Amino acid sequence: MSTDSFLTISDLSAGYGDARVLHGVNLSVGRGEICAILGPNGAGKTTLLRALSGAVWTRGSVRLDGAGLARRSPDAIARRGVAHVPEGRGTFMPLTVEENLRLGAFTRRGRGEVEADLDRIHGYFPVLKTRLRQVAGSLSGGEQQMLAIGRALMSRPRLLLLDEPSLGLAPLVTRELFRIVRTINEQERTTVVVVEQNAHLALDIAQQAHVLESGRIVLSGSADEIRADEQVAQSYLGYRV
Amino acid sequence: MRGPAEVTDGPARTDAPARGRALARSITPVRRRWIAVAVLLAVACSLPFQLVPFRVFQFTMVMVYAVALLGLNLLVGHAGQISLGHGAFFAVGAYAAAIMLDRWDLPYPLTLPIAAAVAFVLGLALGLPAVRLRGLYLALVTLAIAIFLVPLLKRFESVTGGSMGLTLAKPAPPAWTGLAEDQWLYFLTLAVTVLAFLLAHGLLRSRVGRALHAVRDNEAAAEVMGVRLPFYKTLAFAWSAMFAGAAGCVYTWVIGFVSPDSFVVTLSITLLAGIVVGGLGSFSGPLLGGLFVMFVPSISQDINDAAPGVIFGLLIIVVMYVAPTGLAGLAGRVARSTENILRKE
Repeated sequence: MSTDSFLTISDLSAGYGDARVLHGVNLSVGRGEICAILGPNGAGKTTLLRALSGAVWTRGSVRLDGAGLARRSPDAIARRGVAHVPEGRGTFMPLTVEENLRLGAFTRRGRGEVEADLDRIHGYFPVLKTRLRQVAGSLSGGEQQMLAIGRALMSRPRLLLLDEPSLGLAPLVTRELFRIVRTINEQERTTVVVVEQNAHLALDIAQQAHVLESGRIVLSGSADEIRADEQVAQSYLGYRV
Repeated sequence: MRGPAEVTDGPARTDAPARGRALARSITPVRRRWIAVAVLLAVACSLPFQLVPFRVFQFTMVMVYAVALLGLNLLVGHAGQISLGHGAFFAVGAYAAAIMLDRWDLPYPLTLPIAAAVAFVLGLALGLPAVRLRGLYLALVTLAIAIFLVPLLKRFESVTGGSMGLTLAKPAPPAWTGLAEDQWLYFLTLAVTVLAFLLAHGLLRSRVGRALHAVRDNEAAAEVMGVRLPFYKTLAFAWSAMFAGAAGCVYTWVIGFVSPDSFVVTLSITLLAGIVVGGLGSFSGPLLGGLFVMFVPSISQDINDAAPGVIFGLLIIVVMYVAPTGLAGLAGRVARSTENILRKE
């Protein structure tokens, strides 16, 4: 895999209470790369992201740029530059779009920078600018997903975790969203780990991909290698090569 | 809000609707709020000169409750936690002030910050264990605080005066004001209330206020945003207790008497009912709740002397049925629909 490993996960197990979901996951993501995690329902994709952001119990090691993240609290991990866009977006519905965005910058001080970042987010997602004073609950699904990603970017993350960004969105909106994610990755060199059911889209923007089944990585490789794999093609891409 | 109606009564009747609409448009929600606050303050300042002393006293108590409810609103309405024991913080503020006035003869303006600080520290101490609890468990623990307080107050008789309580001199109006005692107490309370509302408003608009809202709306998401849950929950508890303590202190000024029986568990429950009925998380909720807590029990007593509690309880049920978002939500709905009718004209 990549020689310059930014995120290194070794022998990571995680779960909820007595239920262990991940069983010794190993993977590494290069600096500035997009890494896609594919796999069937219940494979542990969401749990993997939650383990990275500290929301579930973990065993094993997670290192971000050399510093250990495992077994720290979610807010401490957030302060170390990990932004998690959770499944279901985690929008604060009764708050306005602007309040949601400002909450994204919660870990940061310095007013001027935050204002500049708001402008930056509006550049990626112009629609949010027109909705600033609206309550987030009144946004469409696609707009809420944009808000969730914009909010995550407000923390100037070093690592962006995206959980099923396409969930419940129209195909066109999803395509647009993935295009923006790629732009963000290219312009800000943000490392991205994306969990996605829509394997086509994920493989289009990712450099690396891993297939997770029953809490274990069963296949790893470059996006092209994974796309060419017959098993993956059958299970996740819906055609035979 | 009422601007357009006056315009239609004016002499230029022909283009009145158009002007009415323009006026209605120029009144933005923000401006409307400031107008409402200004009108409210003007009315509040003229009240003590219009009413008999007993009514003045009643409105003073409305403000005392409003300050306590402001604190409870911070905790329940904005931070999404629950407390069935806020009467205890109210009592702590009241007793702290009473003991300072009784034992040490402190000048009464000094008792306010100290009583508030004592309640703050106590809120912090009790908030720490409360952080690990939520929902019913938190409700139970806070209820326990309210329950053990009364026997505790009776026990330390040398300081608290035991079951007999403490009787104190009320703050006397300075001669230059020319005010009667009830009017002076009213304005003192009004000043504290305005201060408390400004403080709470500033708090909620800050970064910290956003953090509280995030905790209320989605704890997990707030946490991955970098919000330290235990810290902010404890802080919400402490602030909330601080407002209740300040209200208790003013209560002591106004009543001039504290006894354990004034702070039984019912007070805590009434306060919680007050803020829920007033409107959780809203700006005017504490004021409307204060009116409810002050006047509804006495109105109930007028309706049926034998069972004021029954009427009070029934009224809570009726309000919650008609206005699930509290009186503040109901008032907002009425204001909006009147405005729509005026705009259509």
